[in-house]
Amino acid sequence: MSDKPARIPYYPGCTMKTKALGFERSAMDCAEVIGFEMDELKDWNCCGASYPLTKDNLMGLTAPTNILIEAERRCQKEEVDPNLLTLCVFCYNTLKRTEFALGQDKKKLETINAFLDRKYEGSVRVVHYLEYLRDVIGFDNLAKMVKTDMSKFKVAPYYGCLLLKPQKEIGLDDPEDPVILHNFLDALGCKVIDFPAQVDCCGSYLVMREPEKVSKLSYDILADANEYGAETLVTACPLCQSNLDQSQGDKVQFADLDGMPILYFTQLLAIAFGLDTKTHKLEEHHIDPLPLLKAHSGADSESK
Amino acid sequence: MLINPVEKDQKRISDLELATGETISDCYQCGKCTAGCPASMDPAPSVLIQFLKLGQFELARNAESIWSCMACLTCSERCPKNVSPAAIIEGLKNLHLRDMDPRVDLETMSRDFLARSPQMAIISGFRKFI
Repeated sequence: MSDKPARIPYYPGCTMKTKALGFERSAMDCAEVIGFEMDELKDWNCCGASYPLTKDNLMGLTAPTNILIEAERRCQKEEVDPNLLTLCVFCYNTLKRTEFALGQDKKKLETINAFLDRKYEGSVRVVHYLEYLRDVIGFDNLAKMVKTDMSKFKVAPYYGCLLLKPQKEIGLDDPEDPVILHNFLDALGCKVIDFPAQVDCCGSYLVMREPEKVSKLSYDILADANEYGAETLVTACPLCQSNLDQSQGDKVQFADLDGMPILYFTQLLAIAFGLDTKTHKLEEHHIDPLPLLKAHSGADSESK
Repeated sequence: MLINPVEKDQKRISDLELATGETISDCYQCGKCTAGCPASMDPAPSVLIQFLKLGQFELARNAESIWSCMACLTCSERCPKNVSPAAIIEGLKNLHLRDMDPRVDLETMSRDFLARSPQMAIISGFRKFI
């Protein structure tokens, strides 16, 4: 990976262009402040959202491989390091595991290449935005760019599952005791609320079949964060955001818990940078984060 | 339960191992997968694997609990024997799905749900339930 921040090829994925627009826009605005450009791939397809766990399903790898090919060609053409930036945790997990599988198993790569029109050479390294901040920019440098006093924010860092697991393929952080989001929040100057449920599952796609179970799991996570003193919770995953935020509409399950806003980590970063947040879709969250943001930082959607 | 492996079942269990890339006999029933499972599966992951170890393929295949797995991978991450219960469960689910036996009916799905859910939830749901 290059030492100098610059233009980096970026894969958004479907959710980033629809339900998580605020995540993408806040990430892009922050990148501009930090000094790098998220250069969206011109021709991209859905990654398939969930990586196939069974080994006999190579069809599931064709979509993510096609994305890696697009990134590889872009990097070769522009003579930049073959990195591919992602924001969505599902996309990150799927692309990263595909990168790993094709790097480990040349036969698999040959089979998929025989099926696709274009061939993949295997050079791309998939990087998450958080990882880029940690390893290329550095959290120390990030801290120097913070303009807002964030010390009143009591924030629970929530990791969920797919940002970290499986560790031997993703390798971003320890799946049981991660620190990357903690360190990110530390750099912003927030009060970091360490809580036991930080790596518990929110229920994921089970929301399609057993929404009541997702409600219960979301409640357990938020009740835990609340007990440890958090006022808000940050995540990098649009499905965690949706499950944790929208489940709070279940008034029976959440009877004894006040609404807790669920923010993308980049939305909080934008606040810390003192950016105009009016395109960051904060008003679209089920639990309105604006009262908390106004109270602690003076930021609101009308500011500046 | 009969601890009396059916020959036909043994073949199907070998096929499942081939499809998933897992070695079911590696499991020594420590129960760490079940202890960490957030899906409250019953039969639990370690029990499903024990069914397979005992040659009782149909008990594992037809367990309703396999549909509650959300592939959070906690079980696979914690297994001291490097078995992936999540992969075995997905292999079992695929047997139904490849037989055109879906577990979500899109016709009855609420429009409100489809409108407000992130695409990733719907696409994952398609992969896991249809």
